[in-house]
Amino acid sequence: MAKTTGKLELRALTKEFGNGSEKVVAVKELSLTINPGEFVTLLGPSGCGKTTALRMVAGFETPTSGQVLLDGEDLSALTPDRRPMGMVFQSYALFPHMTVFDNIAYGLKVKKVSTAQIKKEVGEILDSMNLAHLTNRAPNQLSGGQQQRVALARAMVVRPKVLLFDEPLSNLDAKLRAQMRIEIRSIQRRLGITSIFVTHDQDEAMSLSDRIVVMRNAVVEQSGTPEEIYRRPSSVFVADFIGRSNFLSVAEVKKGASRKVTVEASGVKLKVNAHPKALKSAHPHLLVRPESVSVKKSSSSSKSRKANEGVVKNVVFYGNHVEYSIDTPTQTIAAVVSDPVYDEIVPVGAVAKIDFDESRAWLLPSDSAVITSEE
Amino acid sequence: MALKRSGTKYDIFTKIALVLVVAIVFFLIILPLLNILIYSTQPTGSAIITNAFSDVVIRQILWNTMKLGLTVAFLGTLLGFIMAYTQARVEFRGKKVLHIVNLVPIISPPFAFATAVIVLFGRSGIITRGIFDWRPTLYGYTGLVLVLTLSFFPIAYMNLLGMLRSLDPALDEAGSSLGASKWRIFRTVTLPLLIPGFAGSFLLLFIESIADLANPLIIGGNYTVLASRAYMAINGDYDIPMAAGYSFLLLLPALLVFLVQRYWAQRKSVVSVTGKPSGRPTVVTSRLARFFLLSVTFLLTSLIVLVYATVVLGAFVKIIGVENSFTLEHFRYLLGGFANAAVRATTFLALMATPLAGIFGMLIAWLVIRKVRRGSEALDFLGMLGIAVPGTVIGIGYAITYNDPVKIGGVTVFPQVAGGAAIFGGAIAIVMVYIIRSSPAGQRSGISLLQQIDPSIEEASASLGASGGRTFRLVTLPLISGAFLSGLMYAFAHSMTTLSPIIFLVTPDISILTQKILAEADQGRYGNVFALCCMLIVLIMVIGGLINLLVRRFQVSTDRPLVTGR
Repeated sequence: MAKTTGKLELRALTKEFGNGSEKVVAVKELSLTINPGEFVTLLGPSGCGKTTALRMVAGFETPTSGQVLLDGEDLSALTPDRRPMGMVFQSYALFPHMTVFDNIAYGLKVKKVSTAQIKKEVGEILDSMNLAHLTNRAPNQLSGGQQQRVALARAMVVRPKVLLFDEPLSNLDAKLRAQMRIEIRSIQRRLGITSIFVTHDQDEAMSLSDRIVVMRNAVVEQSGTPEEIYRRPSSVFVADFIGRSNFLSVAEVKKGASRKVTVEASGVKLKVNAHPKALKSAHPHLLVRPESVSVKKSSSSSKSRKANEGVVKNVVFYGNHVEYSIDTPTQTIAAVVSDPVYDEIVPVGAVAKIDFDESRAWLLPSDSAVITSEE
Repeated sequence: MALKRSGTKYDIFTKIALVLVVAIVFFLIILPLLNILIYSTQPTGSAIITNAFSDVVIRQILWNTMKLGLTVAFLGTLLGFIMAYTQARVEFRGKKVLHIVNLVPIISPPFAFATAVIVLFGRSGIITRGIFDWRPTLYGYTGLVLVLTLSFFPIAYMNLLGMLRSLDPALDEAGSSLGASKWRIFRTVTLPLLIPGFAGSFLLLFIESIADLANPLIIGGNYTVLASRAYMAINGDYDIPMAAGYSFLLLLPALLVFLVQRYWAQRKSVVSVTGKPSGRPTVVTSRLARFFLLSVTFLLTSLIVLVYATVVLGAFVKIIGVENSFTLEHFRYLLGGFANAAVRATTFLALMATPLAGIFGMLIAWLVIRKVRRGSEALDFLGMLGIAVPGTVIGIGYAITYNDPVKIGGVTVFPQVAGGAAIFGGAIAIVMVYIIRSSPAGQRSGISLLQQIDPSIEEASASLGASGGRTFRLVTLPLISGAFLSGLMYAFAHSMTTLSPIIFLVTPDISILTQKILAEADQGRYGNVFALCCMLIVLIMVIGGLINLLVRRFQVSTDRPLVTGR
């Protein structure tokens, strides 16, 4: 069911709290166009403004300036109850004094849908979400996952044009979280409802989204598909926030043929892709994800090792992969080797030879942020 | 608004509610207070205020009032703490019964204590003279301290018990795992954490005791306090400006202490509530401590039981302690015409006021916590004025304001609602007093409950398309129905037993039970006083119980997940 309505535009949305010297800018000129049926995640550390942005879309906060438009119509004058949006809250916010059925029926009753129709629609959504056996339970008799599904059903049954999720999975345990991710995504796809999802969990963002908007200190740091964000981050901050990273200092940068750049890192010359701003940057960094680092035993001793060799400081065996930290003369490198052959694992204290996969490396402009290569 | 503020704009329901609340507060309390201020500037009124410290008589009255307030506040807080600590931390049989006995004084008519104490411990008291052949003079400071402490210590008890129960037992456990003895933990952990509770209770008891009028009239003797002096200015000197002057002197410390108490409670509230206690509180095991706590508890509880036994027995015998033969003559006299109209009128008016006070309190609580951003503290304060201002002051203010129609520029904006010539014989003013005096309790419990309810529950309702009014009705009200219920119960009980403001508003057409009791006590007809008290207590219990049942029918279980998330 492809939808043509539900196009959401945020225009220079700004929110300031307090005034005078205590003024805090929570969101600064956030502009974003979300296509009908698109699933967009606002991702960032706590305090970056993502929840405030979501609450402005819902109407719970009045923007200091800027607009929210739905299908070209300005929503500024509308209170939350007039906006055709459904919201799923972090705490679920189920009405504790109503049964599951009454919780889900609430929005339909407000809309003055007939009793028979309410019964039918609530019944359908209860069935589709495997909640039928809980119809007459009170919210406090449900598990966290069940409460979450009721909250989702309650928001969706009114067929909103936009679904808003405020960190809805953060109160669930890891296994349920993974399961609910899949459930949310499949229902959202099936109904084609435009969605905004707020989270600080990169796994959630990566697995759910058509597009990820990474926010930091009230502004958008980068917006793109999960792949773009992961493979071609625009800054050290984004690279560091999404997944684990090695940032190598590079000695020599030369612009080569076919948009590639030649750099020297850890004594090896590499031909890599680069962010347009990286070339103008004084001290660009080379991003190499741990899984793009290969590790082999070396015959060198710890004294005679070369620039691309290092002493293994730590090895953790996870079964399906092995994680290394390796001290090279210049820095510590993290490496992940998947599906390891047990005999080839380099033990702690031994010297390992490191190779970087240059096709997957990415040259980044320098960043004012403190770089932490390990989370 | 010139400045953009956080949050959403006010919806229409909020706007209407705000205007309504402000208008009600204005007519029910602000306007009478303004009139007190205006009248107190007239010669006989301003003379009282300007000579407050130079005139020996006025200075003595001031000092009497302060001395009484401080003594009762100190003793009441101390007793309240001992009782609360015993209830929370000592294991013994009959704990629940004890708890109820401790709370009874809150809903009982104040005269019950004064008269029973005179009968038991007075010059010819059953115990003092009958057992010890001792003839102490109870009228005055001693009697007042005894009666007021007994009447008001439950406020401190409830306050401190709530705090003791909300203290996380893990704090005690942490203390003992660090090697501290129980006594040391008590001194260095429990007591410091309760400081805001002590301060709050002390200040509340101070306000209550300086504002009290009934007991100084019955047992005060020559010990004149501001409230009784203001009353005499109306009923003896017939000098309204003079009454306004004394009212002003009483109002000033009462409001000041109230503000300090609020500031204190807010500043320290973070410490007092550390979330849901998880473990079991540690129990007092020291024999000495147990002996001390249980002795005090036993003595105080016996005293309360004794007082009530006196009230009940006194209602059914000729003259208790003198002629102890069973009789129904008191009730026959009262129901033979003396009190019938008062029973009907009092019950009817209290029932009128109860739901209005309940809804009004909840509405303010909701506006303060959820809706109003700038000025929510001021609104909260306005709502609490009804309890912060001494009843005597309110009564005099009403008499000044509503014995004539309120006019602005010759146009009547509010009709005459008090005095004999008023519509419904002055009943409206009495209902108004009941409302403004009893809504603050509901407001307080509503506020503390709303603070615990996750605001996103209401936001969820809005995001599902429900308007502000609908959300309040369908979601907020059911969730705070517990507070609403206790607000209703309190409003009814308080209205039935209130005296000080009513005394200025009764008319030949409307007589009120508490005022009848005062009249009988004045005449020394204690049998009738006890019988009236019994009737009042039975009425409160029966009708209060009915209200409880009625509201419970509509109430739904909101057991656990009120506190969720964040």
